[in-house]
Amino acid sequence: MGLIASYNLRSMIVRKSTAAMTAGGIAMVVAVFVMTLAIAQGFRATLVASGSPENAIVLRKGATAESTSGVLRPDVPLVEALPQVARDARGQPLASPELVLAIAVPRQSDDQPANVPVRGVGPKAFQVRDALRFTEGRRFTPGTRELNVGRLAVGRFKGLAPGSTIKFSGAAWNVVGTFTADDASFESEIWGDVDLMMPAFQRNGYQSITVKLADPSTFESFNQAISSDPRLYLQAQREQDYYAQQSQAMTTVIRVFGTFVTLILSIGAMFGAMNTMYAAVAYRTREIGTLRALGFSRLRIVSAFLVESVALALVGGVVGCILALPVHGLSTGTTNFSSFSEVAFKFRITPTLLVLGVVFSALMGAVGGLLPALRAARIPVARALREI
Amino acid sequence: MKFVGLVLKSARRSKRRTALTIMSVAIAVFLFASLRAVLDGFNAATEASSSTRIVTQRSTSLFFSMPTSHAEVIKSTRGVQDLTWANWFGGVYKDPQNFFAQFAIEPESYLRMYPEILLPPAEKQAFLEDRTACIIGDGLARRYGFKEGDKITLQVGIPIYGTRDFDFTVRGIYRSGGGAVDNQSMFFHWKYADERSLQKGQVGWYVAQIAQPEQATPISRAIDEKFANSPNETKTQTEQAFQSTFVSMFGNLNLLLGSISLAVVITTLFVAGNTMAMSVRERTTEIAVMRTLGFPSATIFLLVAGEALLMSLVGGLIGVGLARAIVSPNLMQTGTFIPVFGVTNANAASGFALSAFIGVVAGLLPATMASRLKIVDALRRVA
Repeated sequence: MGLIASYNLRSMIVRKSTAAMTAGGIAMVVAVFVMTLAIAQGFRATLVASGSPENAIVLRKGATAESTSGVLRPDVPLVEALPQVARDARGQPLASPELVLAIAVPRQSDDQPANVPVRGVGPKAFQVRDALRFTEGRRFTPGTRELNVGRLAVGRFKGLAPGSTIKFSGAAWNVVGTFTADDASFESEIWGDVDLMMPAFQRNGYQSITVKLADPSTFESFNQAISSDPRLYLQAQREQDYYAQQSQAMTTVIRVFGTFVTLILSIGAMFGAMNTMYAAVAYRTREIGTLRALGFSRLRIVSAFLVESVALALVGGVVGCILALPVHGLSTGTTNFSSFSEVAFKFRITPTLLVLGVVFSALMGAVGGLLPALRAARIPVARALREI
Repeated sequence: MKFVGLVLKSARRSKRRTALTIMSVAIAVFLFASLRAVLDGFNAATEASSSTRIVTQRSTSLFFSMPTSHAEVIKSTRGVQDLTWANWFGGVYKDPQNFFAQFAIEPESYLRMYPEILLPPAEKQAFLEDRTACIIGDGLARRYGFKEGDKITLQVGIPIYGTRDFDFTVRGIYRSGGGAVDNQSMFFHWKYADERSLQKGQVGWYVAQIAQPEQATPISRAIDEKFANSPNETKTQTEQAFQSTFVSMFGNLNLLLGSISLAVVITTLFVAGNTMAMSVRERTTEIAVMRTLGFPSATIFLLVAGEALLMSLVGGLIGVGLARAIVSPNLMQTGTFIPVFGVTNANAASGFALSAFIGVVAGLLPATMASRLKIVDALRRVA
């Protein structure tokens, strides 16, 4: 095997321009494959990062997103009083009732207005979501028209940098700080004081209550307590489950689309590999005859040519992965259709994705090389030796 | 022209290789034309929008509504000829996965202002007379098997409509007469939704009919000025601008689909160029003999380039044919987010043009190689 494999690999180097072009075709396919899946991966990671394992989110029964949920003011103390809710040092419940809306803000890139989520919160929100860090400026002061903006939203939309003023609902609001949240979707949001936002937006209730549980394992009893209370038309969800669900529809669409396109494209590249391998077999008919005459079995010949084809494809696969790498970390955005507002996220190329890309290329090589390899093994020895 | 036979002959020299190359070009063209069609599908609503309809919404965002009292004010604006309004209902049909658009409309004026909703007169009458009636697009009807007379129950999606489910009766199946109206939506009486709304008399957006497209900007400004500094400030824009904000929601589709198309083209160039180079290399001796016989190098160039172009064009034809046959609106209706589309003549033409481009570029290098061959070297070489 060692000898014959090195023979094939060296023959590949002899025909370097052909080999390079074949590998180039495969590289493009792998690059597209990795990039589209990186979109799905990034979108999902951003939403999943938004959920904390210790938190539960309380929404209206049947609501699939905060934007379609509603929590009445009198509901809040009932939820806060539940024993499963964690307390801070002063015995205050760690529950954050929040108002979620969206306002239209023009994008930096095309000046088109997009729906940017606005979250009205109280001071407890920062205790419940402990991943938030301020990178610039400071937290808004309760009772004033001050705003904090997520880092990704600052980059993506016009006029959200600290120091700028946004006008909505007939009043001016000042941006006083920018925060990060470990790549979570909060980085696409605008936060402000809920008690000022509610009258400004003419709303009379909240969208959700996010609760830190004293013990995450008590979630079931917490949910039980809420959904069985006749005064509450609410239900609880683990925050992580909630955000995973939010990302599902979009990631499925991107994944299906990406896989569909790359699969079709890979057929084209596979035909290219097939052409190359058939030509390789034809050029070397005499050599194959010699090998067979020396006693190499048909199986050895088949496997040798398969190895050659797979090696060729692997080179393409690795190049494709390298081509795709620069998009990692680029930020882009799309609408989260369950909340109808825009989420910014980053392309995310994970090691698994790269491995998947390389495996995919090997598969293309194996399928493309199979028929030519079989043909090489079938050549009658006598005729092959006679060929010039 | 007399060399066509020769080109055909050399293309048949290795049938398998020619077939594989043609198929890979066909696949590329198929993908390219389909991607164009998807993009057009997304943009169709924007492009086909009427330029004589303007849309007024709350300036904050579509999440906010306006009182019905705005209607009289907008109607009294000079230049506004007709007015209708609609709300987004956001109901859930059985499961949140079954997403489709539902609009609560002011039925008479809406159907009057949207002649794109093609509805038989009898069905229109039935729809107008029944308070809980709805009409649905033929695409949507096919998706869920809705028929006239069927009852549809929607769970409430937006809290303002309370908690009780809404029941509707299908009174008509409409066809779409233009891009601004798709065939995947449901329309019903605004009054029916409003009756049960916790906040009465709220409108999502108003649509005003104007006479001339040029009037859109001044009239829009006039409308917005009337509500300036009120609690319900408005933003009025053309229907086209209104629609394009929905398309841009998906993110930068042009860039995404554009880069994929580019990758498709490059892949195919690699494959087709490689094949031609291989076949030239194989024919080195033959070409040398032809040159010896007196074929000028320009003819050799054209022969090789012609072969590449021929293979590519045949592939292009197959690809376009496949795209037209496979990618049809009916096939793609299952996709929730992907709008209805089909491969248009323009898509097909651009796919075919792509195949010509691939043929020319892929043939260039091998043809140059062949025409510059040194006769003596080539004749000396064995295979």
